[in-house]
Amino acid sequence: MSQFIFHMAWRETRGAWRHFLYFFICIAIGVSALVGVSLFAAHVEDAVSKQAKALLGGDLEIRSSHPLSAESRAVLQALDQYGIIRTHVSELIAMAARTTQGAMAAHATQIVELKAVEPGYPLYGTLNIEPSDSLDHLLHPDRARCGTAPCHGAVVQEALLLRMGVAVGDRIKIGTIEFLITGLVRTEPDRMANAFSLGPRVIVSEAGLTESALVQPGSRVRERELLQLPSSMPFEPLRGELRGRLAADHVRVTGYRDAQPQLKQFLEQLSRYLGLIGLTALFIGGLGVAMSIHAFMREKLKTIAILKTLGADSKLLIGVYVLQAIGLGVIGSAAGMLLGIVWQRVLPPLLASGFVSELLLQVGASAALSGVSIGPLLKGGALGLLTTLLFSLWPLMRVRDIAPAAIFRREVDPDSGDPLSESSWRARVGLQDWVGVTTVAVLVCGLVILSMWQAGSWRVGGWYVGGVALAILVLLGCSRILLLGLRLIPRPGSISLRYAMGNVLRPGGHTAGILVAIGMSVVVIVTVSLVEQALLRQVGESRPVDAPTFFFIDLQPDQTEGFAALIAERTGGRTPEMTPLVRSRLHALNGEEVKVDEERDQDERRDETKEERRKQWYLSREYVLTFLDELPKGNEIVSGAWWQPGQRLVTPQVSIEEEAARSLGLEIGSHIELDIQGATIRAEVSSIRKVDWGNFSTNFYMIVSPGALDGAPVTYVATIHVDPEQEVSLQQAVVAAFPNVSAIHVGDVLRNFASVLDRLALAIRAVALFCVITGGLVMAAALAATRYRRLYESIILKAVGATRGLIARTFAVEYALLGFMGGIMAVGLSSALSWLVLTHVFDLTWSLHPIVLFTGLTCTVLLTLLVGVLSTFRILGQRPLAVLRHE
Amino acid sequence: MIAVQHLSMRLTAAGRPVTILDDVSLEIPSKQTVAVMGPSGSGKSTLLGLMAGLDRPTAGSIRLDGVEITSLSESQMARFRRVKIGYIFQSFHLIPTLTALENVLVPLELAGNIAAKDEANEILQTVGLGHRVHHYPVQLSGGEQQRVAVARAFACRPPILLADEPTGNLDSLTGRHIMDLVLALHRDYGTTLVLVTHDRGIATLMHRVIALRDGRIESDQILPTTADDLREPAL
Repeated sequence: MSQFIFHMAWRETRGAWRHFLYFFICIAIGVSALVGVSLFAAHVEDAVSKQAKALLGGDLEIRSSHPLSAESRAVLQALDQYGIIRTHVSELIAMAARTTQGAMAAHATQIVELKAVEPGYPLYGTLNIEPSDSLDHLLHPDRARCGTAPCHGAVVQEALLLRMGVAVGDRIKIGTIEFLITGLVRTEPDRMANAFSLGPRVIVSEAGLTESALVQPGSRVRERELLQLPSSMPFEPLRGELRGRLAADHVRVTGYRDAQPQLKQFLEQLSRYLGLIGLTALFIGGLGVAMSIHAFMREKLKTIAILKTLGADSKLLIGVYVLQAIGLGVIGSAAGMLLGIVWQRVLPPLLASGFVSELLLQVGASAALSGVSIGPLLKGGALGLLTTLLFSLWPLMRVRDIAPAAIFRREVDPDSGDPLSESSWRARVGLQDWVGVTTVAVLVCGLVILSMWQAGSWRVGGWYVGGVALAILVLLGCSRILLLGLRLIPRPGSISLRYAMGNVLRPGGHTAGILVAIGMSVVVIVTVSLVEQALLRQVGESRPVDAPTFFFIDLQPDQTEGFAALIAERTGGRTPEMTPLVRSRLHALNGEEVKVDEERDQDERRDETKEERRKQWYLSREYVLTFLDELPKGNEIVSGAWWQPGQRLVTPQVSIEEEAARSLGLEIGSHIELDIQGATIRAEVSSIRKVDWGNFSTNFYMIVSPGALDGAPVTYVATIHVDPEQEVSLQQAVVAAFPNVSAIHVGDVLRNFASVLDRLALAIRAVALFCVITGGLVMAAALAATRYRRLYESIILKAVGATRGLIARTFAVEYALLGFMGGIMAVGLSSALSWLVLTHVFDLTWSLHPIVLFTGLTCTVLLTLLVGVLSTFRILGQRPLAVLRHE
Repeated sequence: MIAVQHLSMRLTAAGRPVTILDDVSLEIPSKQTVAVMGPSGSGKSTLLGLMAGLDRPTAGSIRLDGVEITSLSESQMARFRRVKIGYIFQSFHLIPTLTALENVLVPLELAGNIAAKDEANEILQTVGLGHRVHHYPVQLSGGEQQRVAVARAFACRPPILLADEPTGNLDSLTGRHIMDLVLALHRDYGTTLVLVTHDRGIATLMHRVIALRDGRIESDQILPTTADDLREPAL
């Protein structure tokens, strides 16, 4: 019996490989998309976790936004006696200025990401620098290079040289002193591959930084103390102890195991969503599988009926064909796995030339297969096999509907209809009895579980399945309506148009299936493009005309007057908007001291709800405060009242941003205590504000009443709108006069953001392309299923005098019609989806993008035309008699 | 032993009920050969099909070797057919994707026969196709295809053989050869044979001739004189 199943499965496959070509390719392409994405993600993740210490910079990192107090420094110094090696790193934004006349196109000043290091850096990993000298040597150049006066060296990113038109050996001014460029930095172990950075990296020594006078009270500096522990010492106890003893300084103590959560999160999210698009490609491929099997079953009606008269029951026959599907699924999945290995080698460097390859270089990720590749490969293979099984089970269940009676009734009465053409929709979708219902239930559950497995989360998987199901239902509904509409159109006079419409409308022609496949595959790619366009438009075009050109940060109180005068002089009397800033942390809420719970590990955090995570974020973040007389532009009081200008208040008052107030549980009348570098101020919540964060000015979670922050270390941020031709000279003048002030150019930042977005969208579109490929394959599979009928009809047409040209036109019009209908549905659904994503995820307004939609529609029509013509052009050359003789 | 009682079959054709068999009762003892005759539409093929359990009657009962087959489930019926019934169609109905040998292998493998291949080869030898076992149906002539079908029907040595106009699609000489083959196998294996035919000549080779008209038995004759002719078939 089992012998029969194996033998029959083999015999049925042996001669029918043509039938299963599309089946095979659909699965292979779908699996390859999945495997390519997850292999890539797994390799990068593996490299990231192997490089965890290097990425953090040490076994432990102590990070703060201000210099440590003397007590805290004493705590750290005491660590030396345990054999713990320490090194200090400061990171800040600064302006570099050229000291010589450079090339015309180059900038004389440039914003840079400055990093000051001590000897001993890096503790882990390697700093990739040119020339391959010791960093210490490059940062402290000898007399031979510096000349008579002692000088400081700087190692810079090549981008700086290009933008400023300087070379190694030139000098740049940062802060109040000049640095000699002694080398180039290629990669740093502990600089997170910055998709988004404000400027090129410049590495100097701590001594150089101190001498540059860049760091002033209240300056925005990230101070990092990196620790290397003796190999016998575990980091957890020390981490706990340091958190306790340095608590007064509000430092963040991180161990290498929980390092780079942002990077990990980014990679996780990227691979999750790319993986889901890959899964969509596989599911669309599943439609191709179902279509191939359905067509195969149609051809096998007679064989199945014969086998039943010979004593095979449905269970046995389903076993035969399921085994066959499994065999083909295994081969298809294996081919997909191999193809996936090729993709992940070829695609990432090709596509994401920017941030991803930089990241790969930094963490030393390779595309070579290793132990970590096994998981993604097996998962991809398993998903391919299960998808095959699920999508073939449905059409295979119809084996039960083929009665042996079909064959002998046909003998009795040749006109006794098609045994597979049921009338009821329940029978058509396989719901006519409990076996059918069970099969459909297994199919649905299977797809849900597969999706959740791929998504790695119940919630995301659930949303994905719901979305896909809804999309399919909508597409199916729309295709029905379109076909109904087409039926109502009076048949045109043109023969080819009339035949084409007839072909589209013919029952059993898989038209609805083709339309759904085309629709699904196009929806993904068009939606991504629509969302990207909307985001780009948001950052690019929707900027108000009077939006600031520059943000000048780290202005000291004693510089404000001089700064305002300089701006007025340079811009013909404009006044910059200057806002005082004070850094603080939450100390207590309603008298209850805030405890930031950093001990929880990653796994625990994963289980938290979004609300809890948000609350933790609001509790632990640093708040930049300001004091203002007037409610700033773009802010709206939603409850409470703003204080009267000039009013002196007994208790300081604070106005809180709406979301922050909600997450922290603050209401009007609540009290908060803020810690400003050791000093605590207490304030009463007097109003809650709604803030338009996209208004391109300085926005605040907390604004306190004037006078409340007297005596606190204040810096100012100035914003100014200037005409484009004034930009460069203004920036140069400010840097020359106030070397500690950094100029952030809003346009540059937005351009930077747009290019990151562009590269991300490119990666997503690349994976979405797999959906288009499988969609095309489904259409080819469906056309192949009707090949014989088309052949026969074209022969008949030829026999009655139709030319090859007429038949070709008929086919072309039919495919274009299919593409047009599928494309219309796809762009419609994409618009709806992009609306949903933009309004609900990004809080942006949606607008119609006719160019994207038109391009999507045109490409769809052209692609269906291409696929259709490639699938059927061989029919055109057939000679009538040769075919009719076989009839 | 085949016992048919009050068998009726009604179908709907083009929306109108059609009675194909109307209260047919008959008994066929083991090893008897029966010809079922009658004009087109008299219900003879349907009677045969119902006897093989290929369809369910509207009413009545069919007992094969004491088993009431009308109440068997699809799977039970299939398993019953495997061991009890061989069936030969007018248009052969070989599986086009299988070779002659593989077509014959199907019932043997279904029955779980360990020596399936040897037996299939042997029976193909018996029907005179030893040299064409690896040919596909399209590569065989009509007569050869029907020989394969006969070999397939006899492969499991079923006690009952049902043949629906086995010579209907063949020329008269080839038809005669097939009949000789069927009768020889009947004699060798002691099979009960029920055969639908239009051909009076073939009918006279049987023990008994049942004539149907409009779904009812019109006549039922025993032909004792011809019985002896069966002993000397010319293969």
